[in-house]
Amino acid sequence: MKISTKGRYALEAVLDLAVYSEVELESLNNISERLQISKNYLEQLFSVLRKKEIVASVRGAQGGYKLARSSKQITAGEVIRAVEGPLSPVSCIDEGKCNNTGEYKECVTRLLWQKMMDEINRAADGVTINDLVQSYGKMKKKDAIEYFI
Amino acid sequence: MKISTKGRYGLRAMIDLALYSNGTHVSLFSIAQRQGISGIYLEQVFATLRKAGLVKSVKGAQGGYLLCESPKDIKIGQILRSLEGDLSVIDENESQKAEDSLISACVKENVWDKINENINLLVDKVTLEDLIIEQKKLNEGSIPMFYI
Repeated sequence: MKISTKGRYALEAVLDLAVYSEVELESLNNISERLQISKNYLEQLFSVLRKKEIVASVRGAQGGYKLARSSKQITAGEVIRAVEGPLSPVSCIDEGKCNNTGEYKECVTRLLWQKMMDEINRAADGVTINDLVQSYGKMKKKDAIEYFI
Repeated sequence: MKISTKGRYGLRAMIDLALYSNGTHVSLFSIAQRQGISGIYLEQVFATLRKAGLVKSVKGAQGGYLLCESPKDIKIGQILRSLEGDLSVIDENESQKAEDSLISACVKENVWDKINENINLLVDKVTLEDLIIEQKKLNEGSIPMFYI
Protein backbone atom coordinates (compact mmCIF):
# COMPACT_ATOMS: atom_id res chain seq x y z
CA MET A 1 0.00 0.00 0.00
CA LYS A 2 2.04 2.90 -1.26
CA ILE A 3 1.70 6.52 -2.26
CA SER A 4 3.37 6.85 -5.66
CA THR A 5 6.24 9.13 -6.60
CA LYS A 6 3.61 11.51 -7.97
CA GLY A 7 2.27 12.28 -4.51
CA ARG A 8 5.69 12.38 -2.91
CA TYR A 9 7.29 14.60 -5.52
CA ALA A 10 4.26 16.91 -5.67
CA LEU A 11 4.36 17.50 -1.93
CA GLU A 12 8.13 18.00 -1.86
CA ALA A 13 7.92 20.39 -4.82
CA VAL A 14 5.09 22.43 -3.26
CA LEU A 15 7.08 22.70 -0.03
CA ASP A 16 10.19 23.72 -1.94
CA LEU A 17 8.15 26.28 -3.88
CA ALA A 18 6.65 27.66 -0.68
CA VAL A 19 10.12 28.08 0.81
CA TYR A 20 11.64 29.75 -2.26
CA SER A 21 8.77 31.83 -3.65
CA GLU A 22 8.17 33.99 -0.60
CA VAL A 23 9.76 37.03 -2.23
CA GLU A 24 9.92 36.27 -5.94
CA LEU A 25 8.37 33.80 -8.34
CA GLU A 26 10.32 30.57 -8.59
CA SER A 27 11.21 28.65 -11.75
CA LEU A 28 10.68 24.94 -12.26
CA ASN A 29 14.32 24.72 -13.31
CA ASN A 30 15.47 25.67 -9.83
CA ILE A 31 13.04 23.34 -8.11
CA SER A 32 14.06 20.55 -10.45
CA GLU A 33 17.72 21.12 -9.67
CA ARG A 34 17.29 21.29 -5.91
CA LEU A 35 15.02 18.26 -5.63
CA GLN A 36 16.70 16.21 -8.35
CA ILE A 37 13.36 15.62 -10.06
CA SER A 38 13.20 15.83 -13.86
CA LYS A 39 11.76 19.09 -15.14
CA ASN A 40 9.44 17.21 -17.45
CA TYR A 41 7.90 15.34 -14.56
CA LEU A 42 7.58 18.54 -12.53
CA GLU A 43 5.82 20.24 -15.44
CA GLN A 44 3.22 17.48 -15.50
CA LEU A 45 2.69 17.69 -11.76
CA PHE A 46 2.48 21.49 -11.78
CA SER A 47 -0.04 21.48 -14.58
CA VAL A 48 -2.34 19.40 -12.33
CA LEU A 49 -1.54 21.51 -9.27
CA ARG A 50 -2.35 24.66 -11.23
CA LYS A 51 -5.77 23.32 -12.24
CA LYS A 52 -6.51 22.49 -8.62
CA GLU A 53 -5.51 26.05 -7.67
CA ILE A 54 -2.67 25.02 -5.42
CA VAL A 55 0.00 26.78 -7.47
CA ALA A 56 -0.27 29.75 -9.85
CA SER A 57 1.98 30.63 -12.77
CA VAL A 58 3.03 33.90 -14.31
CA ARG A 59 4.19 33.80 -17.91
CA GLY A 60 7.06 35.71 -19.46
CA ALA A 61 10.76 36.27 -19.01
CA GLN A 62 10.38 37.04 -15.31
CA GLY A 63 7.69 34.40 -14.98
CA GLY A 64 7.51 31.42 -12.72
CA TYR A 65 5.42 29.81 -10.04
CA LYS A 66 4.10 30.70 -6.62
CA LEU A 67 1.48 29.26 -4.34
CA ALA A 68 -2.05 30.11 -5.44
CA ARG A 69 -3.14 30.71 -1.86
CA SER A 70 -1.60 31.36 1.51
CA SER A 71 0.48 28.39 2.68
CA LYS A 72 -1.79 28.23 5.73
CA GLN A 73 -4.74 27.47 3.48
CA ILE A 74 -3.20 24.51 1.68
CA THR A 75 -3.00 21.16 3.45
CA ALA A 76 -0.62 18.33 2.62
CA GLY A 77 -3.67 16.14 1.99
CA GLU A 78 -4.97 18.51 -0.64
CA VAL A 79 -1.66 18.40 -2.54
CA ILE A 80 -1.40 14.61 -2.38
CA ARG A 81 -5.02 14.05 -3.46
CA ALA A 82 -4.63 16.58 -6.31
CA VAL A 83 -2.16 14.26 -8.04
CA GLU A 84 -3.04 10.86 -6.56
CA GLY A 85 -6.83 11.03 -6.49
CA PRO A 86 -8.72 9.89 -3.38
CA LEU A 87 -6.47 8.24 -0.79
CA SER A 88 -8.59 5.12 -0.64
CA PRO A 89 -6.86 1.87 0.33
CA VAL A 90 -9.24 -0.12 -1.93
CA SER A 91 -10.98 0.93 -5.14
CA CYS A 92 -14.46 -0.34 -4.21
CA ILE A 93 -15.04 2.55 -1.81
CA ASP A 94 -14.42 5.06 -4.61
CA GLU A 95 -16.86 3.28 -6.86
CA GLY A 96 -19.41 2.55 -4.15
CA LYS A 97 -19.88 -0.99 -5.40
CA CYS A 98 -18.32 -4.39 -4.89
CA ASN A 99 -15.82 -5.50 -7.55
CA ASN A 100 -16.26 -9.05 -6.37
CA THR A 101 -19.45 -11.07 -6.16
CA GLY A 102 -20.41 -9.62 -2.80
CA GLU A 103 -23.01 -7.15 -1.71
CA TYR A 104 -21.33 -3.79 -1.07
CA LYS A 105 -23.70 -2.72 1.68
CA GLU A 106 -23.23 -5.94 3.58
CA CYS A 107 -19.44 -5.98 3.42
CA VAL A 108 -17.80 -5.25 6.76
CA THR A 109 -14.28 -4.90 5.37
CA ARG A 110 -15.50 -1.90 3.38
CA LEU A 111 -16.23 -0.17 6.70
CA LEU A 112 -12.67 -0.82 7.83
CA TRP A 113 -11.19 0.47 4.55
CA GLN A 114 -13.39 3.54 4.78
CA LYS A 115 -12.19 4.14 8.32
CA MET A 116 -8.58 3.69 7.15
CA MET A 117 -9.10 6.29 4.43
CA ASP A 118 -10.55 8.69 7.01
CA GLU A 119 -7.45 8.21 9.17
CA ILE A 120 -5.13 8.82 6.22
CA ASN A 121 -6.98 12.02 5.30
CA ARG A 122 -7.11 13.15 8.90
CA ALA A 123 -3.33 12.85 9.20
CA ALA A 124 -2.66 14.49 5.83
CA ASP A 125 -5.14 17.33 6.34
CA GLY A 126 -3.80 18.05 9.80
CA VAL A 127 -0.62 19.46 8.27
CA THR A 128 -0.58 22.68 6.23
CA ILE A 129 2.15 23.78 3.84
CA ASN A 130 2.88 26.55 6.33
CA ASP A 131 3.49 23.92 9.04
CA LEU A 132 5.95 22.22 6.69
CA VAL A 133 7.72 25.51 5.93
CA GLN A 134 8.08 26.21 9.65
CA SER A 135 9.36 22.72 10.36
CA TYR A 136 11.76 22.95 7.42
CA GLY A 137 13.11 26.23 8.76
CA LYS A 138 13.82 24.65 12.12
CA MET A 139 15.46 21.59 10.56
CA LYS A 140 17.65 23.80 8.39
CA LYS A 141 18.78 25.84 11.37
CA LYS A 142 19.60 22.70 13.33
CA ASP A 143 21.41 21.27 10.32
CA ALA A 144 23.54 24.42 10.00
CA ILE A 145 24.45 24.37 13.69
CA GLU A 146 25.43 20.71 13.55
CA TYR A 147 27.55 21.38 10.50
CA PHE A 148 29.24 24.26 12.25
CA ILE A 149 30.04 22.12 15.28
CA MET B 1 -2.20 3.64 -2.83
CA LYS B 2 -3.94 0.32 -2.46
CA ILE B 3 -4.12 -2.73 -0.24
CA SER B 4 -3.39 -5.75 -2.46
CA THR B 5 -5.84 -8.50 -3.34
CA LYS B 6 -4.00 -10.72 -0.90
CA GLY B 7 -4.73 -8.35 1.97
CA ARG B 8 -8.33 -7.78 0.96
CA TYR B 9 -9.17 -11.43 0.37
CA GLY B 10 -7.18 -12.57 3.38
CA LEU B 11 -9.10 -10.30 5.71
CA ARG B 12 -12.45 -11.41 4.29
CA ALA B 13 -11.42 -15.04 4.62
CA MET B 14 -10.43 -14.54 8.26
CA ILE B 15 -13.80 -12.95 9.02
CA ASP B 16 -15.57 -15.80 7.25
CA LEU B 17 -13.53 -18.37 9.14
CA ALA B 18 -14.31 -16.70 12.46
CA LEU B 19 -18.01 -16.46 11.61
CA TYR B 20 -18.41 -20.08 10.52
CA SER B 21 -15.94 -21.98 12.66
CA ASN B 22 -17.88 -22.32 15.94
CA GLY B 23 -14.78 -23.69 17.58
CA THR B 24 -14.19 -26.30 14.93
CA HIS B 25 -12.40 -26.14 11.59
CA VAL B 26 -13.84 -24.91 8.30
CA SER B 27 -12.95 -26.23 4.87
CA LEU B 28 -11.12 -23.89 2.56
CA PHE B 29 -13.55 -24.83 -0.18
CA SER B 30 -16.55 -23.51 1.75
CA ILE B 31 -14.81 -20.21 2.52
CA ALA B 32 -13.85 -19.87 -1.14
CA GLN B 33 -17.44 -20.51 -2.19
CA ARG B 34 -19.04 -18.11 0.24
CA GLN B 35 -16.54 -15.37 -0.56
CA GLY B 36 -16.39 -15.92 -4.30
CA ILE B 37 -12.62 -16.30 -4.21
CA SER B 38 -10.69 -18.96 -6.14
CA GLY B 39 -9.74 -21.90 -3.92
CA ILE B 40 -6.23 -22.07 -5.33
CA TYR B 41 -5.64 -18.42 -4.54
CA LEU B 42 -7.07 -18.82 -1.07
CA GLU B 43 -4.65 -21.70 -0.42
CA GLN B 44 -1.74 -19.33 -0.96
CA VAL B 45 -3.31 -16.76 1.31
CA PHE B 46 -3.84 -19.36 4.05
CA ALA B 47 -0.27 -20.61 3.71
CA THR B 48 0.85 -17.09 4.61
CA LEU B 49 -1.65 -16.80 7.47
CA ARG B 50 -0.50 -20.18 8.79
CA LYS B 51 3.15 -19.13 8.76
CA ALA B 52 2.17 -16.00 10.65
CA GLY B 53 0.60 -18.19 13.34
CA LEU B 54 -2.92 -16.86 12.77
CA VAL B 55 -4.56 -20.08 11.54
CA LYS B 56 -3.88 -23.81 11.94
CA SER B 57 -4.68 -26.49 9.42
CA VAL B 58 -6.36 -29.82 10.08
CA LYS B 59 -5.29 -32.40 7.53
CA GLY B 60 -7.40 -35.11 5.98
CA ALA B 61 -10.58 -35.52 3.93
CA GLN B 62 -12.60 -33.60 6.52
CA GLY B 63 -9.77 -31.14 7.01
CA GLY B 64 -9.73 -27.41 6.99
CA TYR B 65 -8.60 -24.41 8.95
CA LEU B 66 -9.24 -22.89 12.34
CA LEU B 67 -8.12 -19.74 14.09
CA CYS B 68 -5.15 -20.11 16.42
CA GLU B 69 -6.63 -17.67 18.88
CA SER B 70 -9.98 -16.24 19.84
CA PRO B 71 -11.16 -13.45 17.48
CA LYS B 72 -10.96 -10.94 20.30
CA ASP B 73 -7.22 -11.62 20.59
CA ILE B 74 -6.50 -11.18 16.90
CA LYS B 75 -5.81 -7.63 15.79
CA ILE B 76 -6.59 -6.61 12.23
CA GLY B 77 -3.07 -5.21 12.07
CA GLN B 78 -1.61 -8.70 12.58
CA ILE B 79 -3.65 -10.05 9.68
CA LEU B 80 -2.88 -7.17 7.31
CA ARG B 81 0.83 -7.02 8.12
CA SER B 82 1.24 -10.76 7.63
CA LEU B 83 -0.26 -10.44 4.14
CA GLU B 84 0.94 -6.98 3.08
CA GLY B 85 4.19 -6.45 4.92
CA ASP B 86 4.52 -3.21 6.82
CA LEU B 87 1.67 -0.79 6.23
CA SER B 88 3.88 2.16 5.39
CA VAL B 89 2.56 4.44 2.64
CA ILE B 90 6.10 5.20 1.48
CA ASP B 91 8.60 2.79 0.01
CA GLU B 92 11.54 3.16 2.39
CA ASN B 93 14.09 1.78 -0.07
CA GLU B 94 13.05 4.23 -2.71
CA SER B 95 13.16 7.23 -0.43
CA GLN B 96 16.65 6.42 0.79
CA LYS B 97 18.24 7.98 -2.25
CA ALA B 98 17.05 11.38 -1.15
CA GLU B 99 17.75 10.88 2.50
CA ASP B 100 20.17 13.76 2.62
CA SER B 101 17.53 16.14 1.33
CA LEU B 102 16.03 18.20 4.12
CA ILE B 103 12.86 18.70 2.11
CA SER B 104 12.21 14.92 1.94
CA ALA B 105 13.12 14.51 5.58
CA CYS B 106 10.72 17.28 6.54
CA VAL B 107 7.84 15.81 4.50
CA LYS B 108 8.56 12.34 5.88
CA GLU B 109 8.55 13.45 9.48
CA ASN B 110 5.47 15.66 9.24
CA VAL B 111 3.31 13.81 6.75
CA TRP B 112 4.25 10.23 5.84
CA ASP B 113 5.15 9.21 9.38
CA LYS B 114 1.89 10.74 10.67
CA ILE B 115 -0.19 8.88 8.08
CA ASN B 116 1.59 5.62 8.93
CA GLU B 117 1.01 6.22 12.61
CA ASN B 118 -2.74 6.76 12.10
CA ILE B 119 -3.06 3.63 9.95
CA ASN B 120 -1.19 1.47 12.44
CA LEU B 121 -3.09 2.84 15.44
CA LEU B 122 -6.36 2.02 13.71
CA VAL B 123 -5.56 -1.53 12.66
CA ASP B 124 -4.04 -2.36 16.05
CA LYS B 125 -7.13 -1.12 17.84
CA VAL B 126 -9.68 -3.10 15.83
CA THR B 127 -9.91 -6.83 16.51
CA LEU B 128 -11.33 -9.60 14.39
CA GLU B 129 -14.15 -9.83 16.90
CA ASP B 130 -15.08 -6.17 16.32
CA LEU B 131 -15.50 -6.87 12.63
CA ILE B 132 -17.54 -10.00 13.28
CA ILE B 133 -19.93 -8.07 15.50
CA GLU B 134 -20.33 -5.45 12.78
CA GLN B 135 -20.75 -8.10 10.09
CA LYS B 136 -23.55 -9.75 12.07
CA LYS B 137 -25.30 -6.40 12.36
CA LEU B 138 -24.95 -5.85 8.63
CA ASN B 139 -26.38 -9.31 7.96
CA GLU B 140 -29.38 -8.49 10.10
CA GLY B 141 -29.89 -5.39 8.00
CA SER B 142 -29.42 -2.96 10.84
CA ILE B 143 -27.45 0.24 10.47
CA PRO B 144 -23.77 -0.35 11.24
CA MET B 145 -22.60 1.35 14.40
CA PHE B 146 -18.91 1.22 13.76
CA TYR B 147 -17.72 2.47 17.08
CA ILE B 148 -14.00 2.26 16.48
